[in-house]
Amino acid sequence: MLDRRDVIASGAGLAIAGATPARAASLTVGDVLTRMRSRIGTEWFPGGVDRIIAGSADTEVTGIATTMMATFDALKAAVAKRANLVVTHEPTFWSHPDTVSQLRDDPLYRTKLAYMQAHGLVSYHLHDHWHARLPVDGINDGMAQQMGWTRYRDPAAQRRYILPPTTLAALAREFQHKLGDRTLRVVGDPALKVSKVWESWGYCSAFPGIDFLDNDVDVLVIGEAQDWDLIAYAQDLVAAGRRKGLILLGHVLSEQWGMKTCAEWLKGFVPEVKVTWLPLIEPYWNLKQPVFEIDTKL
Amino acid sequence: MADVTALQLIQRILAKTGAGGRPQTVDHVAAGDPTQAVSGIAVMAMADLATLKAAAAAGRNLAVTYDPGFWSGDDNFDHLERNALFAEKRDLLRAHGMVLFNLHDHWQGRMPDGIAAGMAQALGWQAEAANPNLFHLPPMTLLALAQELSAKLGDRTLRVVGDPKLPVATIATSFGNAAQMPGIALLGGPADVLVCGYTHEWEVVEYAQDMIAAGGKKGLVLLGQNASVSAGMRYCAGWMKEFIAEVPVEFFAAPEPYWNPE
Repeated sequence: MLDRRDVIASGAGLAIAGATPARAASLTVGDVLTRMRSRIGTEWFPGGVDRIIAGSADTEVTGIATTMMATFDALKAAVAKRANLVVTHEPTFWSHPDTVSQLRDDPLYRTKLAYMQAHGLVSYHLHDHWHARLPVDGINDGMAQQMGWTRYRDPAAQRRYILPPTTLAALAREFQHKLGDRTLRVVGDPALKVSKVWESWGYCSAFPGIDFLDNDVDVLVIGEAQDWDLIAYAQDLVAAGRRKGLILLGHVLSEQWGMKTCAEWLKGFVPEVKVTWLPLIEPYWNLKQPVFEIDTKL
Repeated sequence: MADVTALQLIQRILAKTGAGGRPQTVDHVAAGDPTQAVSGIAVMAMADLATLKAAAAAGRNLAVTYDPGFWSGDDNFDHLERNALFAEKRDLLRAHGMVLFNLHDHWQGRMPDGIAAGMAQALGWQAEAANPNLFHLPPMTLLALAQELSAKLGDRTLRVVGDPKLPVATIATSFGNAAQMPGIALLGGPADVLVCGYTHEWEVVEYAQDMIAAGGKKGLVLLGQNASVSAGMRYCAGWMKEFIAEVPVEFFAAPEPYWNPE
């Protein structure tokens, strides 16, 4: 159910009344998506997971919030910022394609969906095209900026960075510090000398991950991988005496500054409404720092 | 006494699980000649290079592993033809006449679930009679539970979602990989906390966060795959000794694969 206050606040009530000649033509979700498609720098391709997950394209936009993952907390934060279009890199409903066929009777699915409907929220999944953005993958762009690595990017390979020489342990601490990452995990010798870094922010499967590790790099940095494929390969490389490391940042922290870049990008061609980036807090704690920060702290 | 072959032992092991007749399974001989005479059995959580070398050095040439040796759930060798590490691992197995057998589905399909039974034994927990993955413990906090798991499983890098002060007493487990389903259903069930090895951050981790944000009193513990199944394979080695007398059976432990920076 749409709350009457939200209807008025969103301007939808005025549009229906047609009594505000001074008001500019309304901006719909569909208008924003059309502009995004023409500015991504590459052909908008069919398939993939990018689509409206909840809400409709004809909704009038009151504000835009970009975020790494449309968690319930992130949705609440979007409402507090008066943004009703949430552009999310990761799913809203707990699977990559946001498949809800098995969730129709799930109480949490119903609660989250009802919250979105009550607040007129539209969730748009922007995953594939943000990675495909040209000239540089939008996620990579934001992460390089956050790490202060833009000047170290290999001109021949956008995922490769040549850093001033350091150690694997020191590089891990740099990630802890710059990303607020308390629970990152590392495979390899802490004293390993590292300079050449390959990134695959987010999830990395066995392939291309194995090829990334076998490239001319000292360390592969990713968000998450399965223990029995890519992590196992890194373990075996180390056991075989190769001088390699693997850093596992956690998925959200490994990509979310790319959605800050997305907010800046949207500001460039959606001047009508406020665009806000909603940073998320690391979902986990570990025994070194057992803190609870995910619950509505956004 | 006549030599016993890998195939004979594998057939005996599969029959003893009582979990045969599966329409599909990842359990298979991943490397080696099944007619090879067996000198000893090395049981392990994952056939990583270091553990295989330890097994070879101990003269155990039948490796029985829960997780695969070639970096994919179904030992898919596509892309690996020209991989140097693949060749190195294959050559190690060949040089020692080793047979690598993946025992995953049948061990979890055993009644009761062999991984859950072994983990419960290592933890000193008593499962519900009807469900080897559901435990009722004396009430404690989520933090205390995480500390107990860390101490008993030697797990330094486990990660937790939820309030460390959350009171927990009913524990659901999905050792190893927890897929989106049943992971979501387990969190939505009677358990205060779900303990698993690994689960995708964009699936069950997000669901757990959302349950908490919606007011649910829930927690989620990610042990890491090795810590979440090792005791289940240690238990498997003990179980095999009950019906394999011809050759020694030994469990090979592996250290945690990763570390946290100081």
